[in-house]
Amino acid sequence: MTTNIISKRKVYLGIAAVIVTVAIGIIAVFGLRLGIDFTGGSLTEVSYTAAPEKAALEAIVLELGLDGSSVRASVDESGRDAFLIRTRDLSESERVNLSEAVTKMGAAGEVSRFTSIGPVIGQELRDKAVWAIGAVLLVIILYVAYAFAGIGTPVRSWTYGGVTILVLIHDILVPTAVMALLGVWLGAEIDVLFVMALLAVLGYSVNDTIVIFDRVREQLMANRTEHRVEREEAGIMMADITYTLNKPYSELVEAAVSQSMARSINTSVTTMVSLVALYFIGGDVTQTFALVLLAGVLAGTYSSLCIASPLVVAYAKWRGVDVDSTQTIKTI
Amino acid sequence: MSESTEVQTGSQSFIRVFRALGVFVFMGWLAYVVYSPIVDTTSSHPFKLGLDLAGGSHLVYEADVSKIDPAEVDELMNVLRNVIEGRVNRLGVEENVVYVEQSSFVTDTPVERLVVELPGVSDVSEAVAEIGSTPLLEFKLYDAELDAQQQAVSQSLGSLAESATSSGAVIGDVRINGEAVSKEPPFVDTGLTGRFFERAEAVLPQNAQGSGFATSPFLNITFTAEGGDLFADITRANVGQQLGIFLDGELLSAPTINEAITGGRAVVSGSFTPDEVQALAQNLNFGALPVPIELQSTQTIGASLGEEVLQKGVTAGAIGFSLVVAFMLLWYRLPGLVAGVALISYITIMLALFQYIPVTLTAAGLAGFILSLGMAVDANVLVFERMKEEYRGGAGSRAAATVGFARAWSAIRDGNITSLLSAIILFWFGTSLVKGFALVFGLGVIVSMFSALVITRTLLVTLPDVRLKDKTLWSFLLGNGLNKQK
Repeated sequence: MTTNIISKRKVYLGIAAVIVTVAIGIIAVFGLRLGIDFTGGSLTEVSYTAAPEKAALEAIVLELGLDGSSVRASVDESGRDAFLIRTRDLSESERVNLSEAVTKMGAAGEVSRFTSIGPVIGQELRDKAVWAIGAVLLVIILYVAYAFAGIGTPVRSWTYGGVTILVLIHDILVPTAVMALLGVWLGAEIDVLFVMALLAVLGYSVNDTIVIFDRVREQLMANRTEHRVEREEAGIMMADITYTLNKPYSELVEAAVSQSMARSINTSVTTMVSLVALYFIGGDVTQTFALVLLAGVLAGTYSSLCIASPLVVAYAKWRGVDVDSTQTIKTI
Repeated sequence: MSESTEVQTGSQSFIRVFRALGVFVFMGWLAYVVYSPIVDTTSSHPFKLGLDLAGGSHLVYEADVSKIDPAEVDELMNVLRNVIEGRVNRLGVEENVVYVEQSSFVTDTPVERLVVELPGVSDVSEAVAEIGSTPLLEFKLYDAELDAQQQAVSQSLGSLAESATSSGAVIGDVRINGEAVSKEPPFVDTGLTGRFFERAEAVLPQNAQGSGFATSPFLNITFTAEGGDLFADITRANVGQQLGIFLDGELLSAPTINEAITGGRAVVSGSFTPDEVQALAQNLNFGALPVPIELQSTQTIGASLGEEVLQKGVTAGAIGFSLVVAFMLLWYRLPGLVAGVALISYITIMLALFQYIPVTLTAAGLAGFILSLGMAVDANVLVFERMKEEYRGGAGSRAAATVGFARAWSAIRDGNITSLLSAIILFWFGTSLVKGFALVFGLGVIVSMFSALVITRTLLVTLPDVRLKDKTLWSFLLGNGLNKQK
């Protein structure tokens, strides 16, 4: 399979720019709904065989003096009609009162799930999530720079690390925008599970990107001619080594992308079929998780094929490297 | 590992087949190891299900350690843990877990927390009440009159109940002289409680030489001056009677008072274990809990709900697995089948690790595992793609496989190391929920590498060595169909 991703890189990078802009726009317009994991508060799921009116439940919640609460209709894991009541952090007696009041209504009322998180824990979880994502990004850029050190290309190995991070930002923005839309349509909230999905997307995408960079490295090694110039300096033999690439840089990267195409697509297919199974069969608890990951894997596959390598070539050109003709480079 | 030679010696192919058989025997044995605990409920290594799958409650208490010397915090938290564990055990909840957790270093002020996990408990009211209670030690006097009344009532109740059931009437509560007769043991309060203790000391038999009181561990109590006087008064006035000693309303023992006891000391014996008596002494010494605690977070999941989530997760996993294998078969044919076998070994090894480490399985962990099914074949895909290039270039299938593994190695290594580093960071930062996910993720990376590099490789080189130009069935099966060569 021969691709035109590098030669038409402006098109693919343009599409990426549109995706990123739209994603940021969606997040800015709709905002993100933070779940109680991060804000603190209580979530009560009450299930019925015959559910009461939503308004009646809302009245009950108000009567208990729980202002600022929200009631949302849903379906529980066993397929019964249920309501999700989100309130502020409840004390034990408030919990008992609420539970008694709501289970009395409708038929066979039962509190099937109750979660209460204090504000301190919520704050801590939020801090942890930010730190974890930051630390993962840092480790990735360091490792990529290290692993591709001495790649001996027109650009330094740090460039590959930096590009990887840019790509990852794209991969985080897309599922986050999906989450914002889900928040508007279904009332989905950002919880710890969402953060885990994001981190899994990071892992997937960086793996995908590294595989392609690995091919670039291989192409560079296979298509160069070594020149040694030996000289004597203070009695020690020194050798200046330069390489001539036998093909233009852009062509080598294009070859790497072409060779990686089938693998990237196949792995994303196997990952996505697992996720589709999880989405349709795996139950409500992990449905949002599966959907966010699906968006992330799609974004990750697009970004490693159509953003990462074009960006490296575009950067090289910007730095004054003539990427479209053969050239001589020094080892770094 | 044999290189591709045109002439294969018999012993080399024998070794290859032997290795492949070894792989199958190992997997069969491991599958048995994994499967038997599912059937045999008494197994020592069952799957550990998290509360969100098994149903139950998860309570997080925050301990107020602001008034405690920082050097003593760890010790006191441990005491607190023991005390709370004792209270939870009294509820009769099996497999409860109580542990101390520190807030991570990302927070400004460190917080000490106590986490209580109660499998199967979906109504936490009782548990919250029990955990929040302070232990109450009381001394009560035996009341013969009350005992007689109670016995009379229960006798007449018995005969009444007989006639009542025949006439269909229902008996409410019975009152004698306007006072409700309780089912409480026939003892009356003396006003002497743990409030008057100065110190409680656990005495274990080995350091109770010469004391003729007990052979099992007991408790030595020193009263305050006020308590000592009260104790002396009570014993003086009631010689010959029984003094009941109650812990949290439960009768521990009821020794008979032989004489007035002055000096403000008492011995409390009962059928204690050494641990219990020590916990009790600690409890009483601290009056209540060593550290005040406050309920911070509660999570309750109904048992039926958890089971439903588990069922759906397992079904989703099975279907996800079938889809992945179907795709690999369609695209890579025979090597795809080998990848399917490697994926089965991946699942088997992971499940065995879940049992033996053990890893507590949560809904999130299960979802992560299903996700990993799709990602685990990635190393296979990388190798097969490399192999395909060689094979199309005219190399023998076995040589192509060997070259495929060599070429794919650097990509597999770099990709997996970053994933592993991410998993370590997650594990380091995470709360228990995230830790479970990180562990599944990290193990998955290592095991999927093993399954590709050892199992896929062993099986792949056992297959017949053919070339694309042979145009036989084998050469078709080892090719890659959907992408015909130009």
